[in-house]
Amino acid sequence: MRLTGLPLSQLLAVGLAAALATVALYLLKLRRRAVAVPFAKLWERVVKERESTTLFSRLKRLLSLLLQLALLALLVFALGDPRLGESVVEGRNVVALVDASASMQATDEAPSRLESARARVREMVRGLSGADRLLIAQMDAAVTPLSTLSGDQAELEGALARLGASDARADFPRALRFASDTLRGLPKAEIVVVSDGSLGEAHDALGEVHLGDAKLSFVKVGRRGKNAAVTQFSVRRYPLDKGRYEVMLEVTNTDEAPAEVELSLYGDGQLVDVTRLRLGAGERLPRFYPNLSGASRTLEARIRYADGSADDLPADDRAYALLPERRRVKVQCVTRGNTYLEAALLLDEYLEVTTVEPARYPAPGRFDVTVFDGAAPRAAEGSGALLYLGPAGEGSPVKLGAEITDLGFDEYDRKHPLWRWVVPDPIGIGRSRVLEPAEGDRVLASSVDERTGRKRAIVVAGRREGRRFIATGFDPRESDMVLRIAWPLFLLNAINDFVDEDARYLSSYRTGEVWHLPAPSGAERMTLVDPEGREHQLAVEDGRALYLGQRAGFYKLRAAAAGEGAGGETMFAANLADARESAIGPAENVNVDGRPAGALEGFRAGVRREVWVYLLAAAVALTALEWFTYHRRITV
Amino acid sequence: MGLLAWLKRPQAPPPDEGRDLFDDEFQRKLDYLAVVSRRVFAGRTRAERRTKKSGSGVEFVDYRDYTAGDDLRYLDWNLYQRHDRLLIRLFEEEEDLAIYIVVDASSSMGFGAGQKLRQAKRLAAALGYVGLSNLDRVSVAAARGDALEVIPPARGKQRIFPVFEFLRGLKPEGTTDLGAAMKSLVARSQKRRGLAVLLSDLFDPAGFERGINALRFGRFEVVALHLVDPDDAKPALYGDVRLYDCETGDERDVTVTPKLLERYQKAYDDYRLEIEHFCASKQVPYFVADASAPFDEIVLRVFRRGGFLR
Repeated sequence: MRLTGLPLSQLLAVGLAAALATVALYLLKLRRRAVAVPFAKLWERVVKERESTTLFSRLKRLLSLLLQLALLALLVFALGDPRLGESVVEGRNVVALVDASASMQATDEAPSRLESARARVREMVRGLSGADRLLIAQMDAAVTPLSTLSGDQAELEGALARLGASDARADFPRALRFASDTLRGLPKAEIVVVSDGSLGEAHDALGEVHLGDAKLSFVKVGRRGKNAAVTQFSVRRYPLDKGRYEVMLEVTNTDEAPAEVELSLYGDGQLVDVTRLRLGAGERLPRFYPNLSGASRTLEARIRYADGSADDLPADDRAYALLPERRRVKVQCVTRGNTYLEAALLLDEYLEVTTVEPARYPAPGRFDVTVFDGAAPRAAEGSGALLYLGPAGEGSPVKLGAEITDLGFDEYDRKHPLWRWVVPDPIGIGRSRVLEPAEGDRVLASSVDERTGRKRAIVVAGRREGRRFIATGFDPRESDMVLRIAWPLFLLNAINDFVDEDARYLSSYRTGEVWHLPAPSGAERMTLVDPEGREHQLAVEDGRALYLGQRAGFYKLRAAAAGEGAGGETMFAANLADARESAIGPAENVNVDGRPAGALEGFRAGVRREVWVYLLAAAVALTALEWFTYHRRITV
Repeated sequence: MGLLAWLKRPQAPPPDEGRDLFDDEFQRKLDYLAVVSRRVFAGRTRAERRTKKSGSGVEFVDYRDYTAGDDLRYLDWNLYQRHDRLLIRLFEEEEDLAIYIVVDASSSMGFGAGQKLRQAKRLAAALGYVGLSNLDRVSVAAARGDALEVIPPARGKQRIFPVFEFLRGLKPEGTTDLGAAMKSLVARSQKRRGLAVLLSDLFDPAGFERGINALRFGRFEVVALHLVDPDDAKPALYGDVRLYDCETGDERDVTVTPKLLERYQKAYDDYRLEIEHFCASKQVPYFVADASAPFDEIVLRVFRRGGFLR
């Protein structure tokens, strides 16, 4: 017998103090209740007879005192949490990592693999011995501990009730590191992985996971892997024809048998296309749908077996995408007349162009973008973002340096969206001014002096007084750019880049990753509404909000503070899109740190070996005895 | 019933609480008792009762020796001739009966809900009314400690109302000393002995015998009506208590257990038996008047037993 609660010295002190208090209370004379009687002489007759039995009464009072002291001793002993020797030796510290990834939603084990896992862990909880302690953690894209390291069945059962599946893959290495860190330094450490085994390798960017002395056990969940999935799905509008779009998707058959599936494409909830596909065992089949029309906002791909049967994992039978929102962009063109410019702007039907001479600038109204063609007056309110083509005037956002001739785009910032689909290398420029960027400006293109090797900025982007700008040191008409397809693309890229900054459009995301959600300028907080309708408050840092998304479907995003674009609502889509997670065939075992996990054992104690429970029960029994004897007037 | 509802339950008022002790219904019962009493004793004598006092009546009782100054008309000359002795003939003097109804008004009579004193008042009123109806001289007295409060003897039914008023005004207070109180009654009524009806719980620390003996020795005919309350026999006591006498204030620490309660009940019953044996040995009519029983039944029981009226 060992004491795992209060040490013996403290127990003795507590017991002595309590015993003294009890004896003192017994010695104190009780203040009796005064009761009137009509004729005390009668009572005297009775009491005189009874006084002869005083010694017996005292003995009974002593018996009552001894009963109370025995009760006290039991309670004090229970404070010491005594354990049987073998129980203390057998005490284990266990972390149960319960897989809650998307594959655990598979229904090959009724009602689902997750429910089976829950049942297995519940068996573990009920089979804990008195000295065992268990921590339950949910393992999906993150690791969420649902309980403390505890032997309390109620707490552990409550933790199990909070277990829920996600639409993301499990981060197995992270979960193992968590379990290993939790159990570090504890005796009889054991990690129990309850999963279908679709976990990948146990190493990540930090390297191989080492479990040290911790024992690893594996509880297999799942029976088979009949599944077909949409593993890729994306959509984009054509840059020059935003009424049309193209879709790329990938369908995967993770089963070991060939399958024939029916792929349906829905635009805004309406069926757009149906295709029947034949897939071999384990085959991944990409499909490309160009030149589609008929949807303006949402797209959804659904697959099902052609014979009408259902696969085991419905979670990956659907994929979602959101088309970039189409809206008219108001462009103010400050020019004395430029056919190339006006013609290029005509290519996009969603541009609403207002042309004004420099002397009449600004035109009435508010604009998203203002293009200054060879002029640079001081930018007026409501001009939006600014595109300067050969700026000349007091309002130029960058200082103009020396004039250079016969140059080209020797270097340019390939990652900037201004150069999307544009190849500027062959473009020749007759004359340009060198731009002298201020601190914080970004040089998008420069020409290299052949003699000195010095770079001379000719295209610069930056921000002045809160407005974004792009400036070219040259007039495009003094280059052959205007004769190339690069010219309208350059112009439209610049406008799209400006317009995209208000975050009206978000592409689809992949579940299980941290999403960087762009926020409207000025927004400090955003509200994210997930596909299940739950709201999440997100803080905005550097114009982005971070969120670990684990649900597939359409999300809504609302800015919570005043600012440009604030108050509006945007949408985006999220998909599982993970061929590994869709391969739901259960693994027989997992390997970590070069060794396979063992089978689960030792959770069949059935009876909890906690002595204090019995001590407490004995104390309750003694209390009941005391109550009975008191009311029967045996011990008073 | 929930605990709150149980705590808020309306408390039942004690019986007869707030009612006039001698209301119309009570008085109707008194008339009934008066009629019944006549029926009970019909064929015996008239309601009037002769005393043993010898005097100028017509009914011969006895002889005694002649003494100087005796009325010569009552000398029995025949006996004088036959036995040569001067003997005076004695006749029973016809006289109305004096009834003394003594109510114990000590604190013990008002113990608990005061049922014993209430019952005693009603019985006193009933017996007094019957006596007045029979043209007896009825006097009602209240005993408190060694003091006695008396209303003067009266005759005739119409005199019942002062009796009512007297009884209404009685409050339970003071100790019980029946011996001293009855001696006081005897001393007051030396000239006119009669029937003394004692209504009491007989909780006299000095002994219940003293009161009855005082009347007996004063040559009163005594009728004892023992007022008992069931709550006195079975007190609702439990645990460690300090008992004190409601009259004397004497204290006693007692731990009340079911066994002790049983013993107390036995002691109480023994006390009653003791009183009953005493009265039987002294030929004192003894009646137990349960405080919760209808008073008219008790009155009729007294009548049937006899002794109260002849």
